[in-house]
Order: sequence, then C-alpha cells, then structure tokens
Amino acid sequence: MDALFQGLSLDYLAACDYAKTGKTWQVFLPASSLVKAAERLRVADWHLEDVLALDCAEGFVVTYHFAHFDKPGRVAIRVLAPHDAPNVPSISHVFDGALWHERETRDFHGVIFEGHPNLIPLLLDPDMADCFPLRKEPKSRAKTREMLEVGEVVYCRPSFTLMTPDAPAEGQESGGPAATA
Amino acid sequence: MTRYADMDQVAGDFYTNNFAKTAKESSLILNLGPQHPSTHGVLRVIVEMDGEYILRAEPVLGYLHRMHEKMAEVKTAAQFIPNMGRVDYGHALAWNWAFLGAVEKLAGIEVPERAEYVRTITCELNRIASHLLWWGAYLLDLGAFTPIMYAFDDREKVLDILQMPTGSRLTYSYYRIGGVALDLSEDCLRSIREFIPWMRSRLPMYKDLVSDNIILRKRIEGVGVIEPELCRRYGATGPVARGSGINYDVRRAEPYSVYPKVDFIVPTSELKDARGRYDVRMIEIEQSLRIIEQCVEQMPEGDILVKGAPKPSWKAPKGEAYFAVEGGRGKIGVYVASDGGKNIYRTKLRAPGYSNLSLFAEVSSGTILADAVAILGSLDLIIPEIDR
Repeated sequence: MDALFQGLSLDYLAACDYAKTGKTWQVFLPASSLVKAAERLRVADWHLEDVLALDCAEGFVVTYHFAHFDKPGRVAIRVLAPHDAPNVPSISHVFDGALWHERETRDFHGVIFEGHPNLIPLLLDPDMADCFPLRKEPKSRAKTREMLEVGEVVYCRPSFTLMTPDAPAEGQESGGPAATA
Repeated sequence: MTRYADMDQVAGDFYTNNFAKTAKESSLILNLGPQHPSTHGVLRVIVEMDGEYILRAEPVLGYLHRMHEKMAEVKTAAQFIPNMGRVDYGHALAWNWAFLGAVEKLAGIEVPERAEYVRTITCELNRIASHLLWWGAYLLDLGAFTPIMYAFDDREKVLDILQMPTGSRLTYSYYRIGGVALDLSEDCLRSIREFIPWMRSRLPMYKDLVSDNIILRKRIEGVGVIEPELCRRYGATGPVARGSGINYDVRRAEPYSVYPKVDFIVPTSELKDARGRYDVRMIEIEQSLRIIEQCVEQMPEGDILVKGAPKPSWKAPKGEAYFAVEGGRGKIGVYVASDGGKNIYRTKLRAPGYSNLSLFAEVSSGTILADAVAILGSLDLIIPEIDR
C-alpha cells in the first residue's frame, strides 16, 4: 500500500489488524491529494464500498472504504473536514459509485463535495435539505483517537496530531462557528 | 417536457424540474413510480425518452427512508437488532449478521461453534427465500404470472422452517450479540432435512418451465449488458458482479463463520446480461442447499450463546470495526465506531442494492423502456434496503 501512494502527500499511513477492525490499511490524506489517491486505487482495480462521515471533536472524518475483487483487504482513506468549512473534493469522476454515496453524506452531515455534478438531496426530502440529522451536539462529540484504530504506523507527518494522544488545540474546534448549526 | 413547461399540470416537483433542465427540446420526460408495479415498492425513476428509447434515466430515492443510522445512535446495540430485520425484508438474517458481526468484532466476542452453524443454516435458508421471491417477482414483471405461484409455494416451506426458531416470517431479529436466540429443535432440523430433497426436485421443473422458455430467453438474453469494469466503477457486488464474470463472493473473499469448512462453488456467468444474473441466482439456490446439507451434518452439540453474553444495557467498548457478509443482493457491510458510551457512536450501513442500482442510469441509456424494466428486475432491488 505504501508503494501505491508513493510520492503522494500523505498525513498518516498505518497497517491495521484485519481480525480486529476489518480493515488492513488506514490512510489520512490532506484534501488536496484525495483525488490523486482515488485515481491510483482506481488504476489498481480497487472498488469503492462506501463513503461515510464521522462527526468528531476535531471535524468530520470523511472515510472512503475500498475493497478489491481479486485480493483480500480493505483500505480506509480518510480526510478531515473542519466543522466550519466541511469541503472535500468529489471523487465521483473517478469512481461513479461515489455519486450517490457523496449525496447521502451531504444529506446526513452536510459535507460539501466540490466538483460533484449533481449534489442534490438523495435520501432526505429536498425541503429539509439543511437539517443534517447525523451531526452531533458539540459537547457530545468524541475525539478521533478514542475511536479509530491507531494501527502499526508506517508514516506520520510530524505536524499531524490527530492520532497521537497529546493532540493539542481541539477544544477550540468544538466551539467553532459550525458548532451551533 | 420543455414544450409544455408553462402548463401547470406538467410542472414537476423538485426532482423532475432538476432533471428537465438538461432535457432536449424534442424528448419526452416520463415518471416511473414511485407506485409503479414493476419497481417493487417505492422506487421512482425519471426517464427522458425519444420514442421508445431511453436517452437518460435517474432513479429518485428516499420514499422509504427511515434513517436507520440515526436510530442506531439513540438505541443500544441490542435494541438496534430488530431494525436490521427491517432494512432488507428479502434477506433479513444477513443484515442481522452483518451488524452483530461488526459489534462482536468491536468487542472481541467469540461466537460458540454451534451458533455459527445455526447462523449459517438459517442465513442460507433465508437466501433461498430471497432468491425465490426475486424469481417470482421478476417473472411477474416480465409478464409471466404463473411462476410466482410456484415460487411462493416453495418459499412458504422455508418460512415455515424459519418460523420455528425465529418466531417470525419476514422481519427476523433472531441473532444475538454472541450467538442466536434459540436453538434449532429436532422438529426444525427434520423439516430442514426434508426440505433439501424437495427443493432439489423442484429446480429441474423451474428450469423446464421457465429458464428454458423461449419467451423468457428472448426477453432477457443480451439485455442489460454490464461490463466488469462498470461493476468496479460503481462498486456493484453479489449476483450482479458475478453475472458479469467477476468471481467475488464475500463468503470466499473475506471468509467468516463456518464457510471455510463447507464445500460450495461461487457461480459466475460470462454472459454479463440479465440472463447471466438470472443463471447465477438459480445456481446459488442449489449451492445454498449444499451448504445447508453439510452444516446440518457437521453441526456440533454445544451452547448457542456465549457465556456471559451481553445484556441489553451492555455498552460497546471504544473502537471501530467493519464487518461484511454476503447477502442475497451482494456485499452487506456494517461499520461501527464506538466511544464507549451507552449507544454506538456511529453505525454505517452499506447496502448492496444501493451500489447495484446506481449503475442503472448508465446501463439503461440507449435501451427501450421495456428492456429497462427487465434490467431493473435483474438487479434484484429491495427498496427498503436501498433507502434505509
């Protein structure tokens, strides 16, 4: 997996225990390299299983699960979208399956997928397009590292503190402008 | 559409108007559903037509949306189990299994061996019921009325068997965290042993009556060709992918429970059309019977619920887990993330029909409307699963 992402700008890459969490790799990316990573997975014949957002204290952890038809394993690609500007580039031109998954994630969490050709409500009524039912109250948001598996770290950008226990400055995030939305 | 855009009775709703923006001047916009009989529930498809031909199509979802993922946030894990029986009424036990598999993985709970066998037997019986439901309803879509009578006759026998341990006939919530609710009784096992040869004796009749029927063959052969590449782009799985020649079955790709111990084949078809998907499902019924037969033979004595099984108020430990099972329509995946609180923090349900249906827009463009109905049916759609 580290060979697949060679030369890409990564935040965090860790091998995970399949027996424990059902995935083999976990990758945190800056939003700018998401499309490139998706293209590489596409060329290597991975397919998109689902897209989901996890509303954590630090922001929305947008997770893309990929699996392969010929070999075992599951890759979780993750992008952190801040609460006040939850914008993530769309990968729907790389994986057409993302078209609906991204619309669903917009419905539930209000994550905006930039470049999506038709980001209209899919499962929720168009009249309640801005209610985002799966967003959490700021005080009940959990921290990322309490839930996500740390795994066996292969690479971690020194400035990336999301998965390390002494991550500073997340108290400010939960008081951000989007927290009241 | 655009020609009549100023007339009130054709000014559509949000989705029609959005769809009509890019319509051509000379084309017709037609709404299929959400109450159209061939859409199996409340699927709505907007199509733009040039004569009999579909220029483009767009499914509109959400008419059966119940926000199961929100309900998962406000219930404990044990309280959420009945929801899983209601996500997909066709193959409810597979959804039971996917959710509990994820919770058990998260908590590191080992399921007793007998319970694994009970789960496999009941899940495969449910798969047969699911495929029979699809078979009858699909042929009904295509204008053949009689086969659904035969299908429901046989499906009835499966439901009678499943009723004994589960207590319900459609929306099962039978599995528990760490096992199952009730053991298979001697009575139930005898019925299963009797059912296997009965179902086997029916399959040749299905083949003679329907599968080889020239009217059916002309209706589905060469219709709705899905290339393997398309399955990869859309993440289509299950009989849709296998009907396109992709040898992918979660029971083999990510082995769980007792599937590694039983002998069965994963049928694929190189036809890639509606016929290929039809053939795959018919062979899967035979293979499910094989699995059940072996499991009934091999099943050991023992507990059906792990000792010290979680109580309803049980809290899941911190962490995350993803668990996938093979359902009647493809890969069912459940992702759970817990912060150690009373309820699971986030539950994500990956419905196979959702990904399978999303390729419909691309496959149906350029076909005639009657073929689009044949394609929709061949995807085996269960709308509550897609809308969740």
